[in-house]
Amino acid sequence: MKKLMIVDDAAFMRVSIKRMLGDQDYEIVAEAEDGEQAVELYKKYKPDVITMDITMPKMTGIEALKAIKAIDKNVKVVMLSAMGQEFLIRESVMNGAESFVVKPFNKEKLVEVLNKVTG
Amino acid sequence: MSSSFIDEPMIEAFVYETSQITENLEQLVIANEKSGTFNEEAINEIFRFMHTIKGSSAMMMFNEMSTLAHRLEDIFYIIREDKTVQYDFTILIDIILESMDYFKIELMKIKEGDPPDGENATLLQKVTDYLEVIKTKDSCVKKIVEDKHQKKYNDYNYYKARIWFKKDAEMENIRAYTVIHNITDLVEEVVYEPKDIIENDNCVSMIQSKGFLLAVKTIENEEVIKKYLENTIFLEKLDFETIDLNDYNSFDSIEKSIEMENEVKIPKTAKINVRKSEKQESPINSQQSIISVQVDKLDKLMDMVGELVIAEAMVTQNPELTQLEIESFEKASRQLHKITGELQDMVMAIRMVPLSTTFMKMHRIVRDMTRRLGKDIELVVLGEETEVDKNIIEKIADPLMHIIRNSIDHGIEDKEERSKNGKSTQGIIRLEAKNSGSDVQIIIKDDGKGLDKKKLYDKAIKNGLINSSFDEMSDRDIYNLILQAGFSTKEEVTEFSGRGVGMDVVAKNISSIGGTVIVDSIPKQGMSIILKIPLTLAIIEGMNIKVGNSRFTLPIVNIKESFRPKNKEIIKDTEGQEMIMVRGQCYPIIRLHQFYSISTKIMEVESGILIMVEEGEQSCCVFADELLGQQQVVVKGLPEYIKKSKQIKGLGGCTLLGDGSISLILDVGEFSNLSNVSDKL
Repeated sequence: MKKLMIVDDAAFMRVSIKRMLGDQDYEIVAEAEDGEQAVELYKKYKPDVITMDITMPKMTGIEALKAIKAIDKNVKVVMLSAMGQEFLIRESVMNGAESFVVKPFNKEKLVEVLNKVTG
Repeated sequence: MSSSFIDEPMIEAFVYETSQITENLEQLVIANEKSGTFNEEAINEIFRFMHTIKGSSAMMMFNEMSTLAHRLEDIFYIIREDKTVQYDFTILIDIILESMDYFKIELMKIKEGDPPDGENATLLQKVTDYLEVIKTKDSCVKKIVEDKHQKKYNDYNYYKARIWFKKDAEMENIRAYTVIHNITDLVEEVVYEPKDIIENDNCVSMIQSKGFLLAVKTIENEEVIKKYLENTIFLEKLDFETIDLNDYNSFDSIEKSIEMENEVKIPKTAKINVRKSEKQESPINSQQSIISVQVDKLDKLMDMVGELVIAEAMVTQNPELTQLEIESFEKASRQLHKITGELQDMVMAIRMVPLSTTFMKMHRIVRDMTRRLGKDIELVVLGEETEVDKNIIEKIADPLMHIIRNSIDHGIEDKEERSKNGKSTQGIIRLEAKNSGSDVQIIIKDDGKGLDKKKLYDKAIKNGLINSSFDEMSDRDIYNLILQAGFSTKEEVTEFSGRGVGMDVVAKNISSIGGTVIVDSIPKQGMSIILKIPLTLAIIEGMNIKVGNSRFTLPIVNIKESFRPKNKEIIKDTEGQEMIMVRGQCYPIIRLHQFYSISTKIMEVESGILIMVEEGEQSCCVFADELLGQQQVVVKGLPEYIKKSKQIKGLGGCTLLGDGSISLILDVGEFSNLSNVSDKL
């Protein structure tokens, strides 16, 4: 079972992701509401994979990504983004994000991406 | 790649980035020198810096620079790869610094539009020799280098692949980019089609219909590459084939011809050259929130805001409107005033640059000089984050350098003398910047031997600079003598300071940007020089005054107070100079109408007004007809023809007033000097 952390400032998104992954092989070890918290919780729980929203208060997903990758570059990070954020995703990829999922997404997509990056 | 691609923005980017790298590298090296060894991080960083310079100067076809950087890169490659390698640290540092100097000179040439044609054969030979020495010291290392080179030319495999994404993959262009980005770990080079995957949204449909085509050059085998590609997220289908170098090159050249069209707009998107070990994003990529702007544009913007401030005054203070009382106009003009004010503050803020770069440069000077003079000096830098206008920064670097050189050369004693005087053998120079009101103060303080008053005085008498007696002069007066032209305390000219230019040049440079220099010293304990520099040059808060039909503007910062004098308060000294006693202090009076021969009805002190002004340590009272009011004024230089035709004293510039008339800005510093009367009774 892979350890997963959800990072999103929208509670709805966090709940949705949890539901989508309910019957999958992922243990959700932490949820963060902003980038700063994400980095904090990362240090505490050391998840194997992270779903990371980009636009968040305090610290953006990209900054959090950089901070987390600086701690451990092997952690897998999947960015969650909306259409129109191409440049931000590109930046994320440059900074080590493994892949991304475009919002809105369905369960199949999310699972496929997560399985691929952790596989 | 031909030179026709190299256009202005590219050159600018190159010069900017490379200068920054050389600056950083220099600081890094000097910082490491103190510790006596390069730590791992530093080695990596220097390697990366050299790699970047090599790459970008090769792109720009500056081969000399590129070759030099390449050799240095090789040196650090060896040091990095083989932790046991023995190398001469001091020589290496000298080589690096010498190379940085070379790069700097070349960059300067490029910036000026000249070809970087500097001869570097000797330097290159030095670097090459050094490289040979550390190479041969360890045969194993040699192998690494050879391996590296061999791999470079022989053992490559070439593959071509076409990727189809699933229908609902979305943002196929970014998916493709992800593939390219991550494959760089495995390959030396990758070319792909369509190329503008990020910038061009049409790519999405192209990738959907035709698939995403890529070709790679790699040392990895087929299995590795294929496996990587098969693992692509949302992969529908993958075509994979092995190709040979010719196929690859033809692919490459087709790509290149397309690439060229795009090049002007978006250089380097399509072809990514990678060497595994150096995959490191340049910081520019991650700093999306920063853009670089040409200084010209900023200057222009500043000018325009200046004009706007004048125009605003012209509207709101329009003489025909001042009689009318229109409430809505008042309101609107207040709003306009607020916005122009904010706009102006913002423009100023944009132009502000921290002093840190200028300060950091001083480390190098201290290093070079202390080594050659055999002194031990530590440079302590404080407040380097203080910001001043960009134009000002450029003008203070040289004076600062000169002062520091003076301190090292003349100020701080050599080790023996220091220990004889009970000081620690290490001298300290403090370089400090801080904000004070509308000024920035830069303080350079050393703990050397300080200034010798008597010596200064004798020298000044000998050179005919003064004629007052020693006891008449205050300490400060004597110290300030070193700022006068034709004054140099040290008899012999040394290599570093005193090449005919002295502190007078420093004082002149600083005053040309509206600053002042203050010298202070405690004998045997050191001296300090304070540079007071205005935050900005262009717009000042001024008080407009009237004399006859003429208008003058006094900078508000200089004004201490204004008052109506009484006849009986006016006294005259023996030379007939009018003075006024204010709170026990005596101030000389300068009648503007006399000074500039302006006819006015107001000659009686009681009917006019006195404005007490101060600059540095000196004060005087300026006599004018009346005060017109406070206003922000845009400082414009005096036109050349005025400067040429006649030297008019006491003018700092001119400005336009709200009613369109011209006002002359008074240079208070010059006035208070002109009065030439000590403020002591």
